[in-house]
Amino acid sequence: MKKRHVLAVAMAATAALALTACQQGSATGGDDGDTGGGEGGGEEVVNLEFQSLSDQPLAMEAVQGIVDDWNAENPNIQVELVQAGWDGIYDKLITQFNGGTAPDIIHYEAASIAPFAVDGYLADLTDLIDPAFASDVTEGIWESVTVNEEIIAYPTTLQSYMVFANVDLLEAAGVEIPSGPTMTWDELREIAQATTTDGQFGLGWGLSNPTATFMSLGLGFDGGYFEGSGSDVTIDVGEGELAVPEAIHQMTYEDASLDPVSLTQSGSEVLPAWYAGQTAMTVQGSFRVASIGTDAPEGFNWAVLPPLEGSVSADQAANPQTYSVNIDSEHVEESAQFLDFFTSTENLAALAYADALVPASTSARDALAEQTADETGWAEVLASGDSLVAPPFLTVDAYTQWKDTVATPAFQRFLADEIDSAQLQADLTDGWEQVNR
Amino acid sequence: MTAVATRPVTRRGVSSRAQRREAIALVVPAMAPIIVFSVIPLMAGVYLGFTDATLRRNDVADFIGLDNFIRLMGDRFFWESFRIGLVWAVACSVLTLLCAMGLALLLNTDLRLKSLTRVLALIPWAMPPVVVAIMWRMIYSPTAGPLNAALEWVGVAPVNWLGDFSTALPAVIVVAVWSGMPQTTVLLLAGMQQVPAEQLEAAAVDGASAARRFWHVTLPALRPVVLASTALDFIWSFNSFGLVYVMTEGGPGGRTMLPMLFTYLEAFKNRNIGYASAMGDVLVIAVLLVLSIYLIQQFRKGKAEG
Amino acid sequence: MNQRAWYVRPLQYVALVGYLFFLGFPLLWLVSASFKSSRELYSVTVTLLPVEWTFTNFADALARQNLIGSAGNSFMVAITTMVLTVLISMPAAYALARFRGKMRAVGTGWILLSQVFPTILLILPLFLILRTLQLNDTLFGLILVYVTFTMPFSLWMLQGYVSAIPRDLEEAGSMDGATRLTVLRVIVFPLLLPGIIATAMFTFVAAWNEFFLALVLIQSPELSTLPLTLRNFIGVAGVVDLGPLAAGSVLATIPSLVVFAILQKKLTGGLLAGAVKG
Repeated sequence: MKKRHVLAVAMAATAALALTACQQGSATGGDDGDTGGGEGGGEEVVNLEFQSLSDQPLAMEAVQGIVDDWNAENPNIQVELVQAGWDGIYDKLITQFNGGTAPDIIHYEAASIAPFAVDGYLADLTDLIDPAFASDVTEGIWESVTVNEEIIAYPTTLQSYMVFANVDLLEAAGVEIPSGPTMTWDELREIAQATTTDGQFGLGWGLSNPTATFMSLGLGFDGGYFEGSGSDVTIDVGEGELAVPEAIHQMTYEDASLDPVSLTQSGSEVLPAWYAGQTAMTVQGSFRVASIGTDAPEGFNWAVLPPLEGSVSADQAANPQTYSVNIDSEHVEESAQFLDFFTSTENLAALAYADALVPASTSARDALAEQTADETGWAEVLASGDSLVAPPFLTVDAYTQWKDTVATPAFQRFLADEIDSAQLQADLTDGWEQVNR
Repeated sequence: MTAVATRPVTRRGVSSRAQRREAIALVVPAMAPIIVFSVIPLMAGVYLGFTDATLRRNDVADFIGLDNFIRLMGDRFFWESFRIGLVWAVACSVLTLLCAMGLALLLNTDLRLKSLTRVLALIPWAMPPVVVAIMWRMIYSPTAGPLNAALEWVGVAPVNWLGDFSTALPAVIVVAVWSGMPQTTVLLLAGMQQVPAEQLEAAAVDGASAARRFWHVTLPALRPVVLASTALDFIWSFNSFGLVYVMTEGGPGGRTMLPMLFTYLEAFKNRNIGYASAMGDVLVIAVLLVLSIYLIQQFRKGKAEG
Repeated sequence: MNQRAWYVRPLQYVALVGYLFFLGFPLLWLVSASFKSSRELYSVTVTLLPVEWTFTNFADALARQNLIGSAGNSFMVAITTMVLTVLISMPAAYALARFRGKMRAVGTGWILLSQVFPTILLILPLFLILRTLQLNDTLFGLILVYVTFTMPFSLWMLQGYVSAIPRDLEEAGSMDGATRLTVLRVIVFPLLLPGIIATAMFTFVAAWNEFFLALVLIQSPELSTLPLTLRNFIGVAGVVDLGPLAAGSVLATIPSLVVFAILQKKLTGGLLAGAVKG
């Protein structure tokens, strides 16, 4: 009996010990690598650790180039570039922040970095950002990196959803390529119907992960899904929210102009059918403009159609890539100085071009438009940058959980024609009550 | 033969103190890393289930007793994923055992091509799981995959393997069996090497057929290995989510939402590490219950036969 | 053995070929993909072999990511983990199998608990312990963690193999006056060798393939292990660079196959003697 008691005490003690370590870890973070000793002259050199995720050869080169330029110009503030990968980065950041080893400057994207801001790990940059850059970026994009009224990141590059069309198939079906500033969903539906023939679908849409797409395109119908922020949030799934899923459902099961198999695939998995002329159009992330040239068969004649416009606007969700500063960094100001340099018009245009994304600042967008004047698709992609706004879900605490455990399964069931839209509405709403308790 | 293994130590008591000292000396080198890197984190993890810990900066975790567990009782998403997890783990471990046993028996005979097969059989094992998942996604691809191309060639309509509600879970189980087979095969093969050849020969001389020899000589001798490897297979399948995460992310429609995937989302995405740890605690208890039923039953069987 | 029906042998071959196809085909597909151009990979025409063989994927994989360096790291980590785990767990497994009592109950309990409890919930405490010991972002720290995490398996399997060795053999040995150590070395070890090899292979592979702990514990790119480097072919929003990833994976699979080829000879070394006799 006595022995058992001792064991219990020992167990409690080890657990307590580990927990104490846990708390200490979070409190003393950011202590590695950023306090460089004076070199020679006794002048204090600040070392900043910069964790970058840019992994495409061109983008890596661009980032390295910017860092090298900065280090040459600023001998007192040296930036050390640490390369990490996109895959698994969320888990890595969770451990880095909780373990107190997060770098000074952190590259990520707005929707995924927001939880870290909510949990208090990111520095408030509101007063540190260069005013010129601040006024060069639209309000909608700033909102996407604002958490609890603090700007927690520099937004850099964005993507939108665009309709890519096989020009030959559209022309063969006698469809005129739309050329206005925007295109309505009805137009999309008509073109899809016109280009649907025996063995050929008008549209292929990789929606195996539908939630992000619906959250984004829903904004065009005023479908924001959420009201409020933090944990005090209500969900509203109404006409605007259901407009996009219903339109897709209609095209798939009433018109039979949208390939139902594509709805269960990822964006890249839908491309082969489009390249092969089995689908006339496909909706993809705008960044595809860069890879179609090399992946499509030679002589493939394609175009990017104007941005889709809902009943209210052509708005889509702004989810920019972001550069944030660790709140436990000893050099928040210096980090912001570097980021001001990093986001200058010239640097931002270079970065955006390397990743085939839309720059956050208007001046960089103009510069890039000039540079890409004779490359297919870029003009339409850059134009979509004007209507990117912050989606309401960004500041909703339980959003990710709702998305993964409730919304994605429910949308998938709806797209597979297993439930109707009333059931979808009920599932989304009830699931939210269950998750947000 | 197995009775020997379960017989109590004959010389116990004669020199039990010396034996204990010897046992401790044998175990100590393993203890140090286990205590530092396994026992302490484990205890901390188990304990967190009784707190309201989150991943917030400077979070202070308060002890809240059984609140997490009470809340968990009413969490229908969790229990649904628990059910999927059981189906998945049982299917994976049983199918892996059957397939691996067949292969190990084949490899243990004097067939040609054997050494080639032995290396080939290990291929799935030599591949990082992420590669396995991406490769099988290619194979299952409804439009550009070889599986559907083959089906089309014999005149069968294409199947949307990972996208269809009824085929998603079985399709993922096939991949799990594919990638788990080599390991179980190797373990069984190693166990078969230990079966004394004399016994098999004796049985053969007595006129026992191959099936009878397998059933009465090989299988009983393999029992400890079979037990250990199925139990572990069961635990690992229940515990794994990497493969499924890359292949389906729990979809379509939540059909492949394994409990560990669910726990992961709660711990890291929702940052409620306390509540997630409570899920972990419940899973531990549930898996141990299932396992102890299985193990006790098997031990009894072993005793009765031995 | 002569009473076997005539159809058994052909059936065995059919089964063997079936297994070979099931196990080997995905690899064949991967190798084929690694030689396809991105244009072919994005085509709906399914071909078993590339129409046009290209080496650009390999060149790309080698140029873009530090494959060679991380393969070196992985190899070092996996071999060290393998040797350490087997050395440490062999005596302990023997003790677990042969000495009954409380220690065995505690040992088994821990083995089960450590395997069942979700790894993700252990990551944070583990990370903090490693950081306190200043072992985070070192390969040595990673090895220690791998040794600990593969130990339950290797303990459990090894004690299974030990249990399968008839105790009479050992007792006969000690009655002849040999010391326990001699008994272990001369009688137990040779019988245990296939089991040890199997366990060693397992620990090697576990360390070679492990992703999550490495992701979290390793920060410096030059310490990156192979699974980390391969994951870098997966970009934003899970967009995969198929060709180079396939090429990188093919290259990554070779070292472990070599280790397997060497070890599996030992694994079945005893078989040959038996087959000749039978």
